[in-house]
Amino acid sequence: MTYLFTSADEPGWLSRLFSKRWIRILFLLLAIPTLVAGAFGIYLWHRFSGDTAVEYADIEQHFKYGSTGGERESGFPYWIFQALPQVCSEHLPGKGYASLGLIFEHGKDLPIGMSKRHFTGIDRTFLNCAVCHASTVRDTVQEKPRVYLGMPAMQLDIMGFEKFFFSCAADPKFASEFIVPEARRLVQAQGGDLDLIDRYLVYPVAVALMRERLLMLAGRFSFVMSQPDWGPGRVDTFNSAKVIFNFPMHKIADAEKNAPADFPSIWLQAPRAGMQLHWDGNNTKVEERNKSAAFGTGTTPPTIDLKNIGRIEQWLLKKEPPKYPYPVDAAKSARGAGLYKEYCADCHGASGRNFSGKAVGKVTPLQDIGTDRRRLDSYSYDLAVNQSTLYAGYPWRFQHFRKTNGYANMPLDGLWLRAPYLHNGSVPTLRDLLEPSARRPKAFYRGYDVYDPVKVGFKTNVAQEGARKYFKLDTEVPGNGNGGHEGRRFGTSLSIEDKESLVEFLKTF
Amino acid sequence: MDSGQRSGSFKRKLLVWLGVLVVVGAILGYVGWTKFFREEPQPDWVTSSADMRFKYGSIGAEHDAGIPYWIFYVLPRMFPEKLPGPGGYASLGVPWEQGQELPVGFTKKTIGFPRVANTCAVCHTATYRASPDDTPVFIAAGNGHTTNVEAFFRYLVDCAKDPRFNADNLMTEINLVTKLSWFDSLSYRFLIIPMTKKALLAREAQFKWVYRTDFPDWGRGRDDAMNLTKYFMIKVPMDDTFGPTDMPSIWNLQKYKPEKNMRMNWAGDSHDPRSVIIDSALGLLGAPPHNKGEFLAQVDWLYDYLAKKPAPKYPFAIDKARAAAGEVVYEKICANCHASDKTGTRIPLAEVGTDKDRLDSWNKQAAIEANRIVTAMGIERPGLMEEDLNGYDVPFLDGIWLRAPYLHNGSVPTMRDMLTTPEQRAKVFYRGYDVYDPVNVGFVTQGAEAERVGTKHDTSQRGGRNMGHVFGTNLSADDKDSLIEYMKTL
Repeated sequence: MTYLFTSADEPGWLSRLFSKRWIRILFLLLAIPTLVAGAFGIYLWHRFSGDTAVEYADIEQHFKYGSTGGERESGFPYWIFQALPQVCSEHLPGKGYASLGLIFEHGKDLPIGMSKRHFTGIDRTFLNCAVCHASTVRDTVQEKPRVYLGMPAMQLDIMGFEKFFFSCAADPKFASEFIVPEARRLVQAQGGDLDLIDRYLVYPVAVALMRERLLMLAGRFSFVMSQPDWGPGRVDTFNSAKVIFNFPMHKIADAEKNAPADFPSIWLQAPRAGMQLHWDGNNTKVEERNKSAAFGTGTTPPTIDLKNIGRIEQWLLKKEPPKYPYPVDAAKSARGAGLYKEYCADCHGASGRNFSGKAVGKVTPLQDIGTDRRRLDSYSYDLAVNQSTLYAGYPWRFQHFRKTNGYANMPLDGLWLRAPYLHNGSVPTLRDLLEPSARRPKAFYRGYDVYDPVKVGFKTNVAQEGARKYFKLDTEVPGNGNGGHEGRRFGTSLSIEDKESLVEFLKTF
Repeated sequence: MDSGQRSGSFKRKLLVWLGVLVVVGAILGYVGWTKFFREEPQPDWVTSSADMRFKYGSIGAEHDAGIPYWIFYVLPRMFPEKLPGPGGYASLGVPWEQGQELPVGFTKKTIGFPRVANTCAVCHTATYRASPDDTPVFIAAGNGHTTNVEAFFRYLVDCAKDPRFNADNLMTEINLVTKLSWFDSLSYRFLIIPMTKKALLAREAQFKWVYRTDFPDWGRGRDDAMNLTKYFMIKVPMDDTFGPTDMPSIWNLQKYKPEKNMRMNWAGDSHDPRSVIIDSALGLLGAPPHNKGEFLAQVDWLYDYLAKKPAPKYPFAIDKARAAAGEVVYEKICANCHASDKTGTRIPLAEVGTDKDRLDSWNKQAAIEANRIVTAMGIERPGLMEEDLNGYDVPFLDGIWLRAPYLHNGSVPTMRDMLTTPEQRAKVFYRGYDVYDPVNVGFVTQGAEAERVGTKHDTSQRGGRNMGHVFGTNLSADDKDSLIEYMKTL
């Protein structure tokens, strides 16, 4: 369409323009800075764009260290995360993140349950599913811990994790002049360095943004600060969920507060399809339950990595729970099988793999089960309807959250790794669960990973090992009540021999 | 080249430019129409049943009264402190079914972009629960006794008045929940958000009386309907009247026979059900209907649905023998008004003696003016009664068990209170809590949960006085029990 501007028989306006010498000089003078700026622009674009997570072909590695997409919205800049245990050491209970119960495998820079993604020009790290759903077991004090994937993260003090970042952000030391040199020291220790842009632009800005965001979150999560300690292996799930909607937590009803619940095991999801999931059975869709939990890994509807989460979802459908690794007395166990069928199977399934039973995966009303009601009450009708707005505009908008009136009867696959027991982890071992509540331990230690094959559960009498202190769970504290699931129907009136047989049989689950 | 050639090439250029302009204009016009005006039908599930259509089906209010969906979505997250409590919109007591994206009476409809507006169902859906551990039962066409209309109204305006209501902050929140296209982001940032803010701010001036501090709050389940019509539709200067009334149940509308002198609304101020539906719906539209044919078709559907919708049966146990004894008392004491030729007609205030404030909030001149405005929209209906209102309608008692609190202004919490003298009736109670009280017939209106959830009703305040209707207050305790039992069967 050049004829719009020139006629064919005349030289073009451009050639006429460039016939003048001064124009050519001016052009060069303008062109050089433009090119330099353009090149710099391309460099910056290259440096600050891009979105790549560290990928793992192996599904177990992916579960442990792969990304849910949470780093995009919520990620901690990687080197800040690594620098904080030194900068804010006084806000940690011991040395490094391990003192919060995060598990570090040999040679790994991040604990199990944290992933890494390069996003907007900076490496970021945040939580994934495994942080709450993996842990370790030791046979004896001397032995090395064995990692089990999919079991409750019974050592992780997630309240301590939250408090660490909130109090560190409020500390005057959460500033570039403290954090950047420490980060640089760590990079240099690996033989690298932070370049000028990182040192004077990227990291100072990242520190400021992270501080601002943490302080905002600290405000929204301030209810956590006023709650009794959850201790390792527990989280107040649905009060945390209210924060997604920015409910004013200081106004919620007293009955809804203080509702810590155990992290669950997450294996064998396929046979759970259609069951009432979560402790109170508030959702019957595995996919919604998973996406709901993924909010805890920092995802939002536009930033969730559905491909990565899908891999985990698929894997968990058929992931088998680990077998009980200690000897089982076959005769005793066979005797226990009969008792199990009589007392437990209707609610908990025919076996550890066969989940059939008329009440399996259904809610037992609170007045019948009698366990601590706080977790049930923390999940309000108003929260349920608000959750129906999550993922609005997407085909998978949540539609299945329901307020219930009790707790769901769970299948017992991999039961040996799911101690302490009951939804709030208030009963340390299976053997204790077969006692009436008056005879269950009033207080015990949680978070210790040496196994007790006699009572089936973890050892609960260890307050400290080396520098590591364990959490004393007091059943008198609100939310920690160890009552319920007792009486003749629940096997607490059986003879000692019967109880021991039943426990023996449950080891095989 | 000569001038002929030059002017020829000029003409050619002009033509080409015009052509380009027309094409660009057409593209822009199409994009603009698609992005801002094109109507998409609501999804099929909305019309899958008559009840669903009543609860979630658009009446066309999205055109002028609609809030852009994503603004509506993020407001409770941005301004939770302006709501009555935790729970987002749920804290306003709107009926909200589990699994639904929006509460009952809220529609999502795309007109260019998704918008949220209201329908009749937001004020005319009742909920009740048998106990605090139960989830609510929803009764479409019931009395919306939980919805706090005034708080909802103020909330949107209060948000718009907050300096944090700006494109930057709203876009930050919106980007946390959805991924808008480049075009939609820009139109939200530069058009939709600023225009919404402006429209909401304009409401403050239009609805000044809603902000008067010398009036008590309406509270859950009430609205000052006639003043709404006066100030918003007729635009008369604000006066000093205040007449909030209960959201009525609107089931079984076929019982109203205009030809038998039966009138609608608490004071018999409207001629017939269809007129009331039109006028109430126009209030929700906030403007003349965008498409009159569609609007009237929806009105006709609503009338048809509501005419035949039966009152809900009492869901708890009834002592049949006692109810039978109660029927005798009912025939003696109540039937003369509530099951006779008088039912559905207006009786003089002097006869019933209830709070007069509602009558003062309306007048003949306003009726004439409102009828003129609706007629000018080209909508034919008998409409509002162009006469002085000197009393209240005698209500039909179908489904009366659910229609607590009682009297036109909801000033008497339970049926049992109705049967005591005004001095003995509860002076202060909490309304809008939906746990049912089968002993006194009504909702639980006292106690920690009723106080936490409900709104305080003080019968010493304007528009909320509990005098009058002393009929049956001198019955024996036994007769009262029987009568209450019988009332459950209506």
